[in-house]
Amino acid sequence: MFRQVLLTELLKLRRSQITWISWLAISIMPLVCGLFMWIVREPERAAQLGLLGQKAQFTGATADWPGYFAMLLQTVGIGGMILVSVIAAYVYGREYADGTAKNLFALPVQRHWFAVAKLIVVLIWFGSLIVSLLVEGFIVGALLKLPGFSVALAANAIGDILLSALVAWLLVSVVAWIAALGRGYLAPLGFTIFMLVLGMVVGATGWGKWFPWSIVPLFAGVAGPRVETLAPGSLAVLALAFVAGVIAVICQMRYADNTQ
Amino acid sequence: MPADIVISARGLAKHYGPVRAVDGIDLDVHRGEVYGFLGRNGSGKTTTIRLLLGLIRPTDGEVTVLGARIKPGVQSVFARVGYLVETATSYPNLTVRENLDIQRRLTGAPPRAIDETIILLRLDRYADRRAGQLSLGNKQRLALARALLNQPEALILDEPVNGLDPAGIVEIRKLLRRLADERGVTVFLSSHILSEIAQLADRIGIIHEGLIVEDLSREDLHERSRRCLIVGVSDARRAAALLDRQLGITGAEHTPEGVLHVFEGRERAAEIARLLVTSGLDVTQLCLAEEDLEDYFMRLTGGAA
Repeated sequence: MFRQVLLTELLKLRRSQITWISWLAISIMPLVCGLFMWIVREPERAAQLGLLGQKAQFTGATADWPGYFAMLLQTVGIGGMILVSVIAAYVYGREYADGTAKNLFALPVQRHWFAVAKLIVVLIWFGSLIVSLLVEGFIVGALLKLPGFSVALAANAIGDILLSALVAWLLVSVVAWIAALGRGYLAPLGFTIFMLVLGMVVGATGWGKWFPWSIVPLFAGVAGPRVETLAPGSLAVLALAFVAGVIAVICQMRYADNTQ
Repeated sequence: MPADIVISARGLAKHYGPVRAVDGIDLDVHRGEVYGFLGRNGSGKTTTIRLLLGLIRPTDGEVTVLGARIKPGVQSVFARVGYLVETATSYPNLTVRENLDIQRRLTGAPPRAIDETIILLRLDRYADRRAGQLSLGNKQRLALARALLNQPEALILDEPVNGLDPAGIVEIRKLLRRLADERGVTVFLSSHILSEIAQLADRIGIIHEGLIVEDLSREDLHERSRRCLIVGVSDARRAAALLDRQLGITGAEHTPEGVLHVFEGRERAAEIARLLVTSGLDVTQLCLAEEDLEDYFMRLTGGAA
């Protein structure tokens, strides 16, 4: 039965507008990073064109593959985290906002399968978006003819971006719970923005590695100096947040009143 | 519990703080029966339906559907149940066929059930149209199609004819009646439309302020309905006084339109007519009428539906 639930969830996602919106959003990221690289490499021409020459200089970025990969990682660290949360808010929240949750809850399917299938669908779609970002990122980097490429560097960057995306996905179980609890999109979106800001603030203190929403920004190098490897404590906190979110969303769907 | 009882509730209650939405109701619906659940807005109909489907948890009491006690984690029984709760909702970006395909996959119905149900609900012209682009009536048809797709043994429908045009209402009424009569499907349907319930239901439960105040068969309704002699007369007030004084018939009510309603002694129609005519009054109408469900309901709940 889980296979059928998964197929129906994939069909719903395939037909929804969030797929194209999220793909468009992720497609812009390498283009922006590429533009930034070009500005850093050719600040005079960029300034002549009225682009952000001065600001780009201040970032300390270098116009090469290591600098470009670092920028992509930062983009995924913040943009990816927002995007995956928006996707999760949509996938879970729409059932309540559209009034279709009630159509799912009196069927010969255990309700927890819906919670799990949606989580997997978010993973599949977000994973596809990250792969798309990587492919596009390499194309943009190649077109810019950036120096300093090596296979080892690329493999390392791919690993970091995938890990960063995976960690961002781990946090969506909590977003899913908030969507089920708040019965719509607004609560999870508000929660995401709040946690992102809080994550940046906590990340700037010494406690960031213990706070789930600081871990991705720290790993991506957005909230202070980059933490290149995730400490076992951070991994444990992430695992705990994920499991707590999954249990909470399952309990919400299984036991809470649905008064739609 | 007798084997032919398909839906049963015992002491079923749902309280939201001080609000007693449903306040301890008992009901039994038998196999092949159409049970009309009638109540005014806010009387507890939809809350009861949600309780029957396990969408909300009771504060007290229990529900059994097709022999299974409804509680969290009990889902397999819903393979044999079709339902519609309140507004008809579906995935707006998916076509009619895709919406039904989702239902088919989740209920385990065979693939052919989609086309059969589309034809049954006359949705064939709209099969490949997105649900979000359907009219209100066709959205309702789609919701009913979803409820019927798995050929359920029990149908639990909340206001099933909402949004349908008069022809659609008759069509769905006939369909539900046919399902009950020919396939033994048990139908529990709620409505605030009295005529709908009166024409379709074998048995009627009237809910008022969270309590079932009446549970009666069509025959019971006939027996309990007040009957009266309606007399159209030129001076209703004088006529009422004459009946009281000369025939001992008391309690006759006269309307502002000059019509007299005679409850006690209504079988003495010939005597009444003779008296009124010989007293110089013009009698324009004389007929025996029975209180219908609407009158009965209003009398019971003390107001308009």
